[in-house]
Amino acid sequence: MILHSPDSLRLSSFELRWLAEALRRREERSGPLEDREAVAAACTAGGGLEARVLRRAQVLGEREGLAAGVTSWVGRARLATLLLGALALASGFGAAVAVLGDGTRAVNVVWALGGLLGIHLLSLLLWLAGLGLGGRDGGGLLGRAWLGLSSRLSGARETVDVTQALVGLLGPPRLLRWWLGAVTHGVWLAALAGAVVGLIVTLATRRYGFVWETTILPADAFVRAVRLVGGLPAQFGFAMPDAEAVRASGDAVQSGEAARIAWSSWLLGCVVAYGVVPRLFLASVCFGLWRSGRSRLRIDVALPGYAVLVPRLMPASERIGVTDADPGRMPGPHVEGRRSGGTGRAMLVALELAGQADWPPPLPPGASDAGVVDSREDRKQAVAALRADPPARLLVACDARQSPDRGSLELIAELSRHANDSRVLLVGAGQMDAGDRRQHWRDGLRGIGMASERVDDNPARALAWLGATEREDG
Amino acid sequence: MARSLRIAVVGHTNTGKTSLLRTLTRDTGFGEVSSRPSTTRHVEGARLLADGEVLVELYDTPGLEDPIALLERVEAIEADAGEDKRLDGFTRIERFLQTPVAGRRFEQEAKVLRQMLASDAAFYVVDARDPVLAKHRDELAILANCAIPLLPVLNFVLDPAADESSWREALARLGLHAVVRFDTVAPERGGERRLYEKLATLVDEHRPALERLVASREREAQARHAAGLRVLAELLVDVAAARATVAADPESIRAAVAELHEKVRRREQVGVDALLTLYRFRRDDVDAAALPLLDGRWENDLFNPETFRAMGIGLGTGAAAGAAAGVGIDLMLGGLTLGTAALLGAIAGGGWQAMRQFGDRVVERLRGQRELSVDDGILRLLAVRQMRLLRALEARGHAAIAPIRLVDPAEKQWREGPIPEPLLRARAHSDWSALFEPRADGPGREETVTALAERLANAPEG
Repeated sequence: MILHSPDSLRLSSFELRWLAEALRRREERSGPLEDREAVAAACTAGGGLEARVLRRAQVLGEREGLAAGVTSWVGRARLATLLLGALALASGFGAAVAVLGDGTRAVNVVWALGGLLGIHLLSLLLWLAGLGLGGRDGGGLLGRAWLGLSSRLSGARETVDVTQALVGLLGPPRLLRWWLGAVTHGVWLAALAGAVVGLIVTLATRRYGFVWETTILPADAFVRAVRLVGGLPAQFGFAMPDAEAVRASGDAVQSGEAARIAWSSWLLGCVVAYGVVPRLFLASVCFGLWRSGRSRLRIDVALPGYAVLVPRLMPASERIGVTDADPGRMPGPHVEGRRSGGTGRAMLVALELAGQADWPPPLPPGASDAGVVDSREDRKQAVAALRADPPARLLVACDARQSPDRGSLELIAELSRHANDSRVLLVGAGQMDAGDRRQHWRDGLRGIGMASERVDDNPARALAWLGATEREDG
Repeated sequence: MARSLRIAVVGHTNTGKTSLLRTLTRDTGFGEVSSRPSTTRHVEGARLLADGEVLVELYDTPGLEDPIALLERVEAIEADAGEDKRLDGFTRIERFLQTPVAGRRFEQEAKVLRQMLASDAAFYVVDARDPVLAKHRDELAILANCAIPLLPVLNFVLDPAADESSWREALARLGLHAVVRFDTVAPERGGERRLYEKLATLVDEHRPALERLVASREREAQARHAAGLRVLAELLVDVAAARATVAADPESIRAAVAELHEKVRRREQVGVDALLTLYRFRRDDVDAAALPLLDGRWENDLFNPETFRAMGIGLGTGAAAGAAAGVGIDLMLGGLTLGTAALLGAIAGGGWQAMRQFGDRVVERLRGQRELSVDDGILRLLAVRQMRLLRALEARGHAAIAPIRLVDPAEKQWREGPIPEPLLRARAHSDWSALFEPRADGPGREETVTALAERLANAPEG
């Protein structure tokens, strides 16, 4: 799927989705944007609905500055990560130096270890508890701070949209906590790595004595505690002071090199095993989950903001256009002028008049009924009858509820050519729904040259006209 | 498949061929529609797409206007002098198209026949209100000669003047037994599926494409429905979460009540507009009258006690004793409530937020301030009213709209049942409401809206 055009900002597919979400929020808040061009671009690019939504978002986002908002947000996030990491590294280093002191006083191993790992372990427990409770703030405090820092480094309006879109996009699939978790653990990792470096540097360049102190606890408790705590680092190859040395350190500062090295190694091992290793592990787990979740992430096209775009982005049809054009001219039938030579009879003929119970109506004296004309044969018979004996007056009855068509008009024209005078009666015109079609009949008849005074929808009047033949001729 | 299915839409003049195309293409601007006969005088095509892929091509044709004379003309075509055979119908049609009259008097009919020959199947659109006449039989005789499957589509069957059985009988006599009812302007629910299924029985090799088309259309409808419910859920969460702090004196309360009323009203209108947009409703649509709206707005004010009664919410519902008590407060304060309901909701919603909110409230009480929030009754009314609108929009374009049942189970649930849990949760988060800027868009709000939309979708049956 190619989502980039060469001249556009390079956005990863995740960033594009993020941009689409930011755009959706903006359109939801301040109304739809003018997007004809963007929709056209999306339809040209093709692909599934999501791809089209993303393409549209890309075009609009670049125009509206949201795409720049996303890229600058990412840039700021990198900067914030660097700042936080550097700060953490320095603080870790500083903490290690501060905990060990300047070497004038013996180092209390309990306080040193507590000072180096205490806050870290506490925050780790809190993070785990938050995760276990399925809390929404599972990202850790540092991650939140980082998120806040990344969005607050700029005061632009876009930033608010972009940040909210990120939270909205990552919230429902629970991805935010992995991302923020990776940042939290990464920052702690930097701090603890700084502490390890600090420890190594100071231990390498200064001489420290190690003691433990107690007022109420027995010495054996310390021996056991040191052994217990040192068990895990020992697995990584860190040394551990033996029971004798531990006991001796309780009484006075040990000046022996072996004891000093053993204590240093134990202290360093504890920071690595209980600090660096778990944070490294969690940071990579969070990062891995974030990466895999991110690659599976799709925008929810069922959201109303996207759903309204569907008819335009994924039209149900496209027009082909006219494939066989209207000729513009329609040679039509025409009623010829009045002619004479009829025998003086009056005739009624009905055209396609189906299901009329009261047909034919009582005819005026002298008038004859030529029946109902429907099929080809009927038509031929009617024309033949008229030709054989042209009437003076012809009344053609049509069903006003049907649509007039060229065939009917043609027949009317042909029939009327054989009569001295002809009129049309629209039957059923008074019934409902006939309104439009009655007018269509009148229009159609005018089109063939039958003036409107020759079209009647009153049966009594039309029949009276038919019956007037005798008197007129006589 | 090499080529998409081509369908010619044919029929007598003025039977609704272009309307059929408009409905099937969802393109309300296609061609020209009028009640006037012979409006369409050209052949115009449209491709039906599913997921961006062309599956079917439809061609709108002019109406057949003079079939009796045309059939006579076609039947008069004889084999050439040198040929010693009887011509079959198909050859006659081909030869007819080469005659000069096909370009003049029968220009319109020739267009139809040419398109028939170029298509895989045809819809023969029938206005079921018309009587079956000789011209229709002749028309079908000509079309049958084109040697492609013909599916009669009975239009306007719901009209009292329609004579469906005569048409079916006449079509059966001509060997057309597969017939489908499809009102081109207001098709019945599932009508489109039946139309394509019937068509698939006639053109079997295109069945997979037609099935994909049906599936795609139904998926679109479902997606739109889900989005509609989400619009509704967003509205309810915004209103449920809304809260305003006021000083305890009557003057400030009155002013704050008026302000909150206005905000809720405006928010409801935003929801209505969103639904209308989602369902591509335009004010000038023919079926505007089918919606319970007047010019795109609800006629009755949300906070008018009469509206409650009309919607069946309120003191009259009896069983809803709890709700009735809430409405009592409503009637006094015009649908708003001071504290209690929201507070209960906050506690039920639970969690740290609720405790913090509770703390805030205690502080406000001590400072002599009160909190104003929207009462449950209004939420119920909003839910019922918007669900009705959604239903009306979905039924739109679908004929045989059942009269709105007053005892609709989903509505009953909203009228009398407990307020759903997601809304109680929203009560505890005044920052979720878009009624007061800025809205905080935490993941919690999203989850709540999603949960509420699901609740709306799975309204209990029976």
